[in-house]
Amino acid sequence: MTPSLMDIVGPEYTKLGFFRDVQDKMAQLHAYTEELERKKQEIQSILDGIVDVLAVITPDLCIQYVNPVFFRYFDDPNPGGKRCHEVFRGSAEPCAGCPVQTTLATGRPDRLTYLDRRGERTIHFELVSAPIRDEHGNTRAVLLTKRDITLEKEYQAKYYQAEKMATIGLLAAGVAHEINNPLASISGFAEALRRRLPQLRQRLGETDPLVQDFNEYIGIISEECARCRDIVLGLLSFSRQRAYAGQRLDLVQLVRDTLKILAHKIKEAPGVQLIQDLSPTAVPVCGDPSELKQVLVNLVLNAMDAVLPQGTITVRAHAHGKDAFLIVEDTGHGIAPEHMDKLFLPFFSTKTQGHSIGIGLSICYGIIQQHGGEITVCSEPGQGATFRVRLPLEHPTSGENL
Amino acid sequence: MDIRKFSLPEIIFGHGSIRYAGSYALQLGGKRVFLVSDQGLERSGWVDRLLAVLEAAGLETIYFDQVYSNPRDIHIEAGAELYRESQADVILALGGGSPMDTAKGIAALAGCGGRIHDYEGANRISRPLPPLILLPSTAGSGSDVSQFAIITDTARRVKMSIISRSLTPNVSIIDPDLLDTVDDHLLITSAVDALAHAVESYLSPLAHALTETQALTAIRLITRHLPRALRSRDPDDMEQLSLASTAAGISFSNASLGACHAIAHSLGGFFDTPHGEVHPVVLPHVMRFNLPACTARMADIGEVILGGRLATDAATATAGIAWLEEFFANLGAASRLSHIIPHTDDFAQICHMAAQDACLLTNPRPATAADLLAICTEAW
Repeated sequence: MTPSLMDIVGPEYTKLGFFRDVQDKMAQLHAYTEELERKKQEIQSILDGIVDVLAVITPDLCIQYVNPVFFRYFDDPNPGGKRCHEVFRGSAEPCAGCPVQTTLATGRPDRLTYLDRRGERTIHFELVSAPIRDEHGNTRAVLLTKRDITLEKEYQAKYYQAEKMATIGLLAAGVAHEINNPLASISGFAEALRRRLPQLRQRLGETDPLVQDFNEYIGIISEECARCRDIVLGLLSFSRQRAYAGQRLDLVQLVRDTLKILAHKIKEAPGVQLIQDLSPTAVPVCGDPSELKQVLVNLVLNAMDAVLPQGTITVRAHAHGKDAFLIVEDTGHGIAPEHMDKLFLPFFSTKTQGHSIGIGLSICYGIIQQHGGEITVCSEPGQGATFRVRLPLEHPTSGENL
Repeated sequence: MDIRKFSLPEIIFGHGSIRYAGSYALQLGGKRVFLVSDQGLERSGWVDRLLAVLEAAGLETIYFDQVYSNPRDIHIEAGAELYRESQADVILALGGGSPMDTAKGIAALAGCGGRIHDYEGANRISRPLPPLILLPSTAGSGSDVSQFAIITDTARRVKMSIISRSLTPNVSIIDPDLLDTVDDHLLITSAVDALAHAVESYLSPLAHALTETQALTAIRLITRHLPRALRSRDPDDMEQLSLASTAAGISFSNASLGACHAIAHSLGGFFDTPHGEVHPVVLPHVMRFNLPACTARMADIGEVILGGRLATDAATATAGIAWLEEFFANLGAASRLSHIIPHTDDFAQICHMAAQDACLLTNPRPATAADLLAICTEAW
């Protein structure tokens, strides 16, 4: 315990400095900084890899952070610090049903989908808000994810439409077959009655009104039967689900031929102008020429109805990538949004009763389906309509001329 | 010759050097200064003066004034607690031995934790301490240049010597202007303390050329200038006393002390006797006890005091001791222990404690507790 003389001299001691400590701390800090930088990079890469719009929103609804994807969808170059409803929706007031506010209030995630019609294309967004908690577990901010589900929604709608069409096809086929038998009976017995008419004339005399009536009524029954048979055939063709083996043909040539047939019909309406925009080279497809002609006639006649008394119809045919396109545009009154998904259903018609039985577009739909293609429409009320038929392109084998 | 050492802080010396306190604190990395001083210096206005200097340097200051003569462990611990709470980063002390040793104790606890008893003895501080800047206001304890801190252990009623290179301050700012407000009693006791430092460290077996010159210079300056300083308070005399105290401090910090300090520490721990009052009484007795073991060196001291040598070393040495006794008497200092302590009942215990003191190691003549008791009894 008691020190010695040498302890008091203490040659092995000196006033201690922090140099070593400081060096160690510096090295430590350096390592920490590198580690942090690496972590930051990692998190940044993760964030950059997210393809949805991400935003961090503070409790007073101000934007604290956005990821680079934000700038692909929104024009604001500096969203930081601005109110989220101003930046995302362009409204001065917080939005109704806002999931961010729900999350702030409940601390639980929330979701919502909405249509953003502000840009040139309407975007369908799905919002998901999730809480960002502080160390005490309180919600200190909200992480908002905005997913662009426009395409998904489109595919979904197409899928439902296809499902519906298939179901209706089955129904139509069933109905057609069921009606066919009684129709055949009615038609057969009407024929049998017609064959009895000479006997009736012998017994009652040539001029008897009863004979006249019978003659007339049997004629009407036969005609109406024939009309029914046509409808049933149409229905059957809409719902025909067999694979289709057609012949090779040139879509451009087919369009030219069809429009020749329609020329007189168009001449009848002097206010209607027909423009042809056809590929200079052949567009080879595989199909049944008469059925495809039927589709084109149908589309052009519909367009005529839409543009009357005056307007322009443009028919285009060209190849693009692996597909051939047949497009009929008109400048007519357009299609109401609520009619869009019913357009290709059998018996659906916007035309005044008696003018049409509404079988046209549904038959077109059936024909194009069997050709392995699709028919779509886009239209705004008052802005005309565009019907687009896509068919798989046949690749011409070398040296073959169409 | 054995290994010797000579360690010093940076020393800034001169009238008005107090104004550098702020810039030094800044250069040592300080933002918040922990200032240790006492009420006497507050009354004299020096604390406010220093606070103004620190404020002008843009430093925050935490002021600690629980400083008493013979600083105690409990005050050190309170100071260290405040230091930690206040998150200060530099320790400044302004004052005599007590504030300076208090500051050193606080620095030790701030740097190493634990209790101050853990560091009793030599070289037990094993971690760096906060930067220390000391401004002595007396001439003086020498604490501002030494690696010693003397702290009272209240439970054991002993003074602990804490010796460590790390207790050497970073900077000692010695401004003789501070002596202007010192009263005669304090001037005398601190100068005699410095004289005892010089005498004892010169006689220490650890003394070497670098310390000896400091010690003899201090003896010469104090014996010449103390009476004149008391008469006229001439700034030059005050400055010489400051220099002498610093020189004595440099000497004893490197060569250590002897029996006189061992006894003074012991009495201070037991009776709370002011340190400076013990030396004029005990020093001549200790010198006579040591004389046979170091006659030639004692004669060197005599020669400096007397201004020349007598026929023999023994004569010169003895005349020097006699001269000192008369010198102390002329200063009006106490000459017997009975003047400064109440009774002799505890002498045996006091001397037993003194025999444990680290200072006794470097006494030129080995001394037992019984030898010390004989000295004390003689001085009673």
